[in-house]
Amino acid sequence: MNATVEGVLSANARLTGEIDVLKAELDGFTYSVSHDLRAPVRAVLGFARVVADDHGSALDEEGRRLLAVVQSEASRMGDMIDALLALSRIGREAMAYLPVDMAGLVYEVVAERAVQEQSLFDVGDLPGVCGDRVLLRQVWANLLSNAVKFSSRTPTPQLRVWATRDAARVIYHVGDNGVGFDMKCADKLFGVFQTLHRRARFPGTGAVLAMVKRIVHRHGGTVWADAQLDVGATFSFALPDEGTQ
Amino acid sequence: MTEFDAIEILLVEDNHNDAEMTMRALQKSNFLNKLLGVEDGVEALDFINCRGVYAGRDPRQLPKLVLLDLKMPRLDGHDVLRALKSGDETRRIPIVVMTSSSQERDLAESYRLGVNGYVSKPIQFTDLVDAVAKIGMYWLLVNEAQV
Repeated sequence: MNATVEGVLSANARLTGEIDVLKAELDGFTYSVSHDLRAPVRAVLGFARVVADDHGSALDEEGRRLLAVVQSEASRMGDMIDALLALSRIGREAMAYLPVDMAGLVYEVVAERAVQEQSLFDVGDLPGVCGDRVLLRQVWANLLSNAVKFSSRTPTPQLRVWATRDAARVIYHVGDNGVGFDMKCADKLFGVFQTLHRRARFPGTGAVLAMVKRIVHRHGGTVWADAQLDVGATFSFALPDEGTQ
Repeated sequence: MTEFDAIEILLVEDNHNDAEMTMRALQKSNFLNKLLGVEDGVEALDFINCRGVYAGRDPRQLPKLVLLDLKMPRLDGHDVLRALKSGDETRRIPIVVMTSSSQERDLAESYRLGVNGYVSKPIQFTDLVDAVAKIGMYWLLVNEAQV
């Protein structure tokens, strides 16, 4: 019996090791592909800009419109490549594991935004956790900018940040009264390049929440969202509570 | 006295498109007049050390700024950095790495070798113009160089 348990455990450890190697390889692949794609996109954007600036007058109105389409699509591709690079970096970089003052991080991120946006935030008590400060700051930056963005078309945007606890976890929440989303699409929310709203209304590459998910997972946590269309959304992430106050 | 003696900015870049973009960005900020573009590290060191096609150049005339790519054939950016920062005269030339790489190890190695600045090439041309203008403004106009 014991031999069987040991066998399963060692097979399990081997598989986990293999998965880690594959994940690292995938991140390395994503990094090099997106890195190499950056140069040609930079050239397309740069030369298209030169055509627009220096030869724009030689084009007719339709020619200039088409050139603008090239520029805007190449620009979107550039943003997507940069998002992929940022995502692969999250997976590859070594993580610090130290006590982090989560309230301090939130105030830091809020203070970086325009002053008028600061008053929108209602920040409750936020217990600290153990983790990588830089990565956790990215989580807050992404969730808060997401909340600001999707409540920007609401007449009186209200954003709230608070925390709860359960047996072994601290759970952080970011709520807004913005456009929300249909919960039927919730499974797509944290995928790369997934956008649930039309890009023209809310521009973006759709990598902000994918980044949040990756960082939270690297910390051994989970992330989810609750929402109602046109009422608002709450994004929550739970991290292991290791008693850091 | 040769045409190369008045060079203020040495751009070391093997990708012709990137070199043209950087030159256009410098031009937009009016920094183009005394710029020379070279294709790799070997040519950069030839220029600094007055060898090859630069043999007749006055060795006392060092560029005021080197913009250096990292990934290049023959001799890469780190080799150029190592060579320039270990020379008594050449170590005072400000060198700013302009690269596509945002890898931590490239950044760390560049600073270990004594680079003066490190810039990831922006993907948008307007951001490149902005970055290049700031670099030129600081190293050529604001900063007081050792003479």
